[in-house]
Amino acid sequence: MKQVEYPAPVKQLILQLKRLPGIGPKSAERITVWLLQIQGDSVMKSIAESLATAELEIGECEVCGFFATEEGCGICDRSGRDDSVLCVVEQATDILPLEKSGAFRGFYHSLRGRIAPLENVGPLDLRIESLITRLKSTAFEEVILALSSDVEGEATANYLAELLAPFDIKISRLAQGLPAGGGLESADELTLFRALEGRRTV
Amino acid sequence: MLSSLELNQFRCFESLRLDLQPGLTIFVGNNAQGKTSILEAACAVLRLQSPRTSTLGDLIRMGPGAGKGFSVRGQYGDCELSLRHTAKGGRKLAVDGENQGRSSAYLRYSGLVVWIASDDLALVKGGGSTRRRYLDFMASQLFPLYRPALKAYDRALRSRNFLLKRDASPNWAQIDAYTKILIENGGVLTRHRSELVAALAPLAAASQKQISGQDESLSIEYQAASGTGDDLAAELLRRRPDELRRRQTLAGPHRDDLTFMVNDMPAAKFASEGQQRTLALALKLAQSHLFIGKTARPPVLLIDDVFGELDPDRRNALMEAWPEDSQKLVTTTHLDWLDSSRVDARIWKVDSAQLRQA
Repeated sequence: MKQVEYPAPVKQLILQLKRLPGIGPKSAERITVWLLQIQGDSVMKSIAESLATAELEIGECEVCGFFATEEGCGICDRSGRDDSVLCVVEQATDILPLEKSGAFRGFYHSLRGRIAPLENVGPLDLRIESLITRLKSTAFEEVILALSSDVEGEATANYLAELLAPFDIKISRLAQGLPAGGGLESADELTLFRALEGRRTV
Repeated sequence: MLSSLELNQFRCFESLRLDLQPGLTIFVGNNAQGKTSILEAACAVLRLQSPRTSTLGDLIRMGPGAGKGFSVRGQYGDCELSLRHTAKGGRKLAVDGENQGRSSAYLRYSGLVVWIASDDLALVKGGGSTRRRYLDFMASQLFPLYRPALKAYDRALRSRNFLLKRDASPNWAQIDAYTKILIENGGVLTRHRSELVAALAPLAAASQKQISGQDESLSIEYQAASGTGDDLAAELLRRRPDELRRRQTLAGPHRDDLTFMVNDMPAAKFASEGQQRTLALALKLAQSHLFIGKTARPPVLLIDDVFGELDPDRRNALMEAWPEDSQKLVTTTHLDWLDSSRVDARIWKVDSAQLRQA
């Protein structure tokens, strides 16, 4: 007797879900079963619609790399922003935390990644070309490199700092140190070291 | 000191609970019965690393009914240290039941370790990587900034070498983004290593004299591979044509070495086998004394399979020279050497991962 398997559409759904980040074969199967068994509510339909709409309507802003719709980019098209500073981030998702903090009112540029030779990502894979074009056409006074503080983030910052040196622009990096509201006793040695290095006069 | 040790699914042990005393504890048994794994567990729970492997996953027990992870718990002083590792969830650290995200937070509650093993002879006879590992293991225990710098240095070095090899015509702009990271972190490594060797050298010289029982002079020279005046930036620039030809990073702490001179002659080439064995032991004893001097906490000495190999003179010298206050865990295949009238030791027999008190 032949072994019974899931019907082809079910297998297909599992296969597609498995492609999502962080979803393995087991989770994909669980989600599929949940989707198939849920009654009444048209969950599948609304998910499918959301996916289709997103694919159709959401693109990448050609200028900053943030998510854009047909109406344009929520950041680049908005007036009233400080056009003297540009903040370079690794991912479009890094923009929202900065926005929410309210501390930054300038413009953004997402690189869509960072230089990581061991993961086969080089400068040409990133939105560096468009950063240069942008700096040539807009007179920013300062570029803030808001990249992560691991080896790849540092290397990307070093690379950009060298590349942007010919422009007459102030280039800065984010400070590293104690978390706000945190005491000294909870910080590890490296954080304390960096905090001491980056101390300022009061 | 480590007053108890609890192993679960660790190496050959399904589970083991062991109360430990100060002073000397001896684990005796044939080869491949689990003696070294007990020492390894002590090292892992105190330092979060093993001298036998660089991946914690290797420590998980294999064979029938094997688990998907291991755990080691140890009572050190008044803290209960716990290290768990699962293939899926990675490493989990806790002190007194409280989770610790970072190893630096965990290690604050832990003690120092000196690992003495029969293959220490490689420190004298083997390649430079053995001596760098010796320095790294010491320095990471003494200087909190050392291990993060070493990790960053290694990653930057791998990236830089990869870039040098990959392209027919290397992209120096990209390579130098990593050069800068090498220089920053390499500086931290070089500084700590030279400080370490300066403190270690006189202690090792004294140990050499004491163990050999003769007037053997020992000097240790730290050979930093970062160019004159430790200017790694200038040295890398100078070596650029060579790097272009050989397609690898040619200067920096990853090429550092130590030279040992016994009676003013390079020990690797000219010292006798006996002198070399003495030297290897002297280096580890010096490490123990250095730890005591630097931290005021006696290190735990983990001594693996050394006693059977030593001649009686060196054995007695070792037992006279090791730090009195340190707890010592020793493995051996036989007890012929032990003069139980003179040495107060607790003895465990180890047989197929089972322990019983002798």
